[in-house]
Amino acid sequence: MTDQEQPRLADEIEKMEYEPLLPVEKKLIVWSIALGVVLLGVLTWVSYTFFPAP
Amino acid sequence: MGSLRSLLKSEDWMSVWVGLLIFALSLGLLLGADILGWAVQTNVWVSLDQALQPVSDGYSGLGGGASLILTFLFLLLLMSLAARGLGAHVPRFMFGFTVIFAVSYICWFLGHYGYIAATPDKLESLGIGWSMNLTGEAGYILALLAGLVVGNFFPKTAGRIAEATKPELFIKIAIVVMGLGLGVKAVDALGLASAVIFRGLCAIVEAYLIYWAVVYFVARKYFKFSKEWAAPLASGISICGVSAAIATGGAIRARPVIPIMVSSLVVIFAVVELVLLPFAAQAFLTHEPMVAGAWMGLAVKTDGAAVASGAITDALIRAKAIDTLGVEWAEGWILMATTTVKVFIDIFIGVWAFVLAILWVTVIDRKKGEKVRIGEIWERFPKFVLGYVLTFVATLLLVASIPELLDAAKAASSEANVFRKLFFAMTFFTIGVVSNFRKLWEEGIGRLAAIYAICLFGFIIWVGLVISWVFFHGVTPPVVAG
Repeated sequence: MTDQEQPRLADEIEKMEYEPLLPVEKKLIVWSIALGVVLLGVLTWVSYTFFPAP
Repeated sequence: MGSLRSLLKSEDWMSVWVGLLIFALSLGLLLGADILGWAVQTNVWVSLDQALQPVSDGYSGLGGGASLILTFLFLLLLMSLAARGLGAHVPRFMFGFTVIFAVSYICWFLGHYGYIAATPDKLESLGIGWSMNLTGEAGYILALLAGLVVGNFFPKTAGRIAEATKPELFIKIAIVVMGLGLGVKAVDALGLASAVIFRGLCAIVEAYLIYWAVVYFVARKYFKFSKEWAAPLASGISICGVSAAIATGGAIRARPVIPIMVSSLVVIFAVVELVLLPFAAQAFLTHEPMVAGAWMGLAVKTDGAAVASGAITDALIRAKAIDTLGVEWAEGWILMATTTVKVFIDIFIGVWAFVLAILWVTVIDRKKGEKVRIGEIWERFPKFVLGYVLTFVATLLLVASIPELLDAAKAASSEANVFRKLFFAMTFFTIGVVSNFRKLWEEGIGRLAAIYAICLFGFIIWVGLVISWVFFHGVTPPVVAG
């Protein structure tokens, strides 16, 4: 493919159509962050209890 | 047949074969055969006769110059065979590799100049009164700068060496070779090694869940990107740059052009991080060296730039610790934290892409008749990780079960390290060469760069620092002296 045939970044972004954030996407984002926060506590406890640094 | 071809033709597998060959040859020492002892070791120098020598005393009669030539010829042969296996144009590759090796080595050599590199404990023996205290790893920064000059101001030269400009191949070979050194270190400090490995795993679980979701949300909500753009962008910015963006693009069936464009941006920002973050870590995290190492793994995108940042951070922090804390930490542990985090990130890319593929097909972008195969996890698995795990575990088990081999294994690790460092230097140079700021600017990166900069410098770097601190604070490498 030559340089002239390659799509330009600006053109591709220009062509992008607006899609509103769906409720299901919001739900997944919230679940992911919530799981991250809960696991932060659990994994920290496991790390310091079972894998202490000498 | 297809899988046999991928064993030979993929860059990922090729890095395993080349890395394992260097690993196997260096282990000749365990059987009493010093096969790679002629490889060139570059010392911190103020007069040229101090600079080069064969890594093994057994080859001291050879002299530094001959040692350098042999090292180059060995690598040229090895990499040309690899290039042939990968289907490259071998004469063009040989020319490109020669240029890349020459420039990278000159930078590596200059970076070892005493006034640039010497740590405070070395000043007296070198007979100098001061130095910039940057360690020999300053050579990596010089190589990066040289690469950036070539990539941005000499595009024709960059084009002539393009066949051999393969930063990902170089860094993957280096990581496979590095397993040997880390295995030897782990034998000396098993408790610390297991803590680093487990905590590295914890850190990346956190990074995936928090990073990705926030970047995706910002991209969709505030920058109005479509799902097709937002998902590869979130993976590229938040996880592991190029490979994650491509895997995610594939998983959600985005047009190939999107992850490719995201990837080019990832490489540019990784260079910026590579230049800034190790020095920030040295300035603020000398008391928390392993936090600094893990931070490089979590914050700097692309394997090459991340592991390279870890190597510089390792050198800079240890040098400053000698100066300000009066303690000399063992080399390589900070880099091990970076590599462990990065390797786990790479391992999980396939799993994450699989999860995204399922979510896209079943919930977000449902299309009739689309299915996700579990085999996709293996297809996206970074195979070079297998080489790294193999060299690490094999060394660990071997030396742990036969402790008398420890000294020979340490010597083997020193010999393999010569090649690892040279591959690192070539990674830095070629990262610079492929980072064409001007071309990306001409293409109109505005909105994409804005979201990248905001998420990276406003969020990713700091959350990565917090996660690294949670899991690694108070952990320090073994003390060598002090």
